[in-house]
Amino acid sequence: MTYIFLLLALVMVASALAVVTLHNPLHSALALILNLLTVAALFAALDAHFLAAVQIIVYAGAIMVLVVFLLMLLNIKTEKPKPMGKFLFVLSAAVGVSFLALCIPAFNEAFRIFPDPVHELEGTVKAMGRILYTEYVFPFEAASVLILAAIVGAVMLAKRSYSKGSGHGSN
Amino acid sequence: MVPTSFYLTLSAVVFTIGAIGVMVRRNAIVVFMCIELMLNAVNLSFVALSRSTGNLHGQVAVFFVMVVAAAEAAVGLAIIIAFFRSKHSVETTDASELNL
Repeated sequence: MTYIFLLLALVMVASALAVVTLHNPLHSALALILNLLTVAALFAALDAHFLAAVQIIVYAGAIMVLVVFLLMLLNIKTEKPKPMGKFLFVLSAAVGVSFLALCIPAFNEAFRIFPDPVHELEGTVKAMGRILYTEYVFPFEAASVLILAAIVGAVMLAKRSYSKGSGHGSN
Repeated sequence: MVPTSFYLTLSAVVFTIGAIGVMVRRNAIVVFMCIELMLNAVNLSFVALSRSTGNLHGQVAVFFVMVVAAAEAAVGLAIIIAFFRSKHSVETTDASELNL
């Protein structure tokens, strides 16, 4: 079990690094899909079966299809390296390492009260359905309103304006 | 079983990589993908703690994070399309019209 976790963790960190370092955005997107799939596998290992399925369907499926579609639609070339880039990179790496050095001991200290998992979480799909439709039914319905608003907003933002020049505001 | 602290450490490492990506990269779509990376790292720690405490509230939180991320993806990518239409670029350094 631990070996599987270590393998997945290695793939996850490597693909996350690939997302950040690869120059072609399409390669970054493919690395991100790999990363999302490893997260789904870790969810499954943590007995969150419903979330593992949703992770694959929504994240690796819908959202990443949208991103790859946009990358191909806009036909973006690799970004031009700038002279400032290297200094900024070293600075960011230093910030990241110091952040990790601060927060990993803090995490392990603060969450020591949580035990290592011993008992089974049984039937999480059924249990998730029950808790979503009883205790969290109001946030669940509010989420549908949020998605509706996001759909309308996305259509409004992405459509061409009909009246060029004389319209309100944009273009 | 894998200890919970392993999951938390992995989550922190991936979150930091995503945060560095947001700071370093200039392609708006790659910045967007790095934000997704950070969201996923936090989701992983939510699920690990939910498993550790033996209740489902952490998993419900992850479910709502996914809902909001989907909405954010739709609106964010639409904004990138609108920006590309006016500038013919998705470099974040080109979005400088509010600079004084």
